[in-house]
Amino acid sequence: MAAIELDGVTKRFGDVTAVQDLTFRVGEGEVFGFLGPNGAGKSTTINMILDFVRPTAGSVRALGHDAQDGSVAVRRRTGVLPEGFDVYDRLTGREHVEFAMRSKDVEADPDAVLDRVGIADAADRTAGGYSKGMAQRLALAMALVGDPDLLILDEPSSGLDPAGAKEMREIVRTEAERGATVFFSSHVLGQVEAVCDRVGIMREGSLVAEDSIQGLREAIGTDSTLRITVGGDVIPDLDAVEALDGVSSATTDGETVVVSCRDDAKTTVIATLEEDGVTVEDFETSEASLEDLFLAYTGDDADEGTGAGGAAADPTGADDAAGSEVEP
Amino acid sequence: MTWDDVAHKDFRDAIRSRWLWALSVVFVGFIGGVPALLFGYYAPAEASAADLFGAAASMPLLGLSLSYSGVLAFVIAFIALVTSHGSIIDERESGTLKLLLSLPHSRLDVVAGKFAGRTVVVAVPVLAGFLVAVVALFATSTSVDLSTFAPQVALTLLVAAAFVSLGVGVSAAARSNRAATVGIFGLYFLLAFLWSLVARGFPSLLDAVFGRLPGVDRMAAETIAELRMVVKYLNPLRAYETLVAELYADTALGARLVKAGFREQAILQESLGGGALPVYFRGWFIFLILLAWIVVPAVLGYLSFRDADL
Repeated sequence: MAAIELDGVTKRFGDVTAVQDLTFRVGEGEVFGFLGPNGAGKSTTINMILDFVRPTAGSVRALGHDAQDGSVAVRRRTGVLPEGFDVYDRLTGREHVEFAMRSKDVEADPDAVLDRVGIADAADRTAGGYSKGMAQRLALAMALVGDPDLLILDEPSSGLDPAGAKEMREIVRTEAERGATVFFSSHVLGQVEAVCDRVGIMREGSLVAEDSIQGLREAIGTDSTLRITVGGDVIPDLDAVEALDGVSSATTDGETVVVSCRDDAKTTVIATLEEDGVTVEDFETSEASLEDLFLAYTGDDADEGTGAGGAAADPTGADDAAGSEVEP
Repeated sequence: MTWDDVAHKDFRDAIRSRWLWALSVVFVGFIGGVPALLFGYYAPAEASAADLFGAAASMPLLGLSLSYSGVLAFVIAFIALVTSHGSIIDERESGTLKLLLSLPHSRLDVVAGKFAGRTVVVAVPVLAGFLVAVVALFATSTSVDLSTFAPQVALTLLVAAAFVSLGVGVSAAARSNRAATVGIFGLYFLLAFLWSLVARGFPSLLDAVFGRLPGVDRMAAETIAELRMVVKYLNPLRAYETLVAELYADTALGARLVKAGFREQAILQESLGGGALPVYFRGWFIFLILLAWIVVPAVLGYLSFRDADL
């Protein structure tokens, strides 16, 4: 049985088609990253799984139930971190969790779950005074109540600082190890790479790719980046490097040479430079980041998403951004 | 069904707001304070609670015919609507509804829970007010007949529930807070201030239409008067008023004619005074109308909310 199953799902709001003929499934126990720039239809899809909005056509199933007719049954075994939510200003953090426990018929210690998401010290404060990140953690705490079989997290890292985003990834990993299926959406790419078994990439209401990170990488064949620190007075002959098989570009600022090439071309590149009399002091390679993959799939109109991705958390993302800066 | 969890949360949320406490002050002052003042200072010895709460207490003031129970219903209806008009649309606009519906509650649970929670929010201060009233009545040695006083308290809670239902229903169906507010206070204005125009105008209009149709007779004066009264008691405020009056009145007809004009009274006494009242003027039928106001608005609101994209 699939944890989530969409078949030919279309959702129109008036004249606007938010989701177009979407079909995919997420297996039990899988961690599935649902990617795409803002406005690609990710939240609409999640809202259909949760029965907040109803599909115009097609069928949505979750945990073996119809998402609409069996919605309560689905949500009884699902933890949800919704997008665009707000907390109850006058209730304390603990009261929020107690309400979730009551609603799900779970007997447990509310402080334990608050501690797990890192806001135990704010348990007795009213949530109206919480920051965006604390509210996000509180909603996650409510989602984790009762060890759900399925976690649906819509943009879980929004409002979190890099440390918070890392804690979020760790919680996702722990939940997946427990056996839960995790389905989460993001336009922040760094976090996805680290935790997902599989990703789907949305663009303009359709799924443009669905694969493992590795599979996507192979499918698109994006080059790695080779960054070489050079010494000595010899000016590297970039023309010779660029002429090599498998090299797509080479640039230099006099101290470093940045080469974009296939994995198997790296050794030849370094050998060529050394033959030329260049002293290779150090080199490092970085694989194409998911961001590059993402851009390749979604085109340049994903500016907003990638900007946030680079800034949010991932140091490799930052490196890659620097790599592209020195290109002419 | 988890509506009770929603209601519990809603009430817990509400008691944190100053609103509930302000409500309590209003009701304790109005329901409890008025009898305390009246019977403590102005009433003759051997006064009875019926002097205030009963229909006989209808007093001409500023040219309006006001009864204590009539004014009480106005106040309670207003407060019930203010308490409930944002109950669902505010959660929808702020996004707390997403948090609520992320938990295993159906949309029916949400509407039913809101109705129950907000009804309790209004009912608790109303009961506190009546409690103070009872204390005041005993303290001033005013005789209280529990067989009329207790049903009056119950009817008051029912009219409060009817207006909470109206507020929750509109709140569930509205697409924005502004629409809910305009809708709710438009309805309040209609029911509280314009209804006598509707009750008078509708039968006259119908009569005028009949007059223009060939082969249809104009309505008799008694028919028009009866029709006016039928329309009048479709209004929950009026239904409440006449049901309370019936607790104190000698006859059901007397209770139906409370606050009717002289001419109307004369006509209806003449046409209805003889035998048994028609079904639609009997107490239990008017009571059903009041109950319908508790059920129908919330159900209609639910049906709209059930099919909405959030």
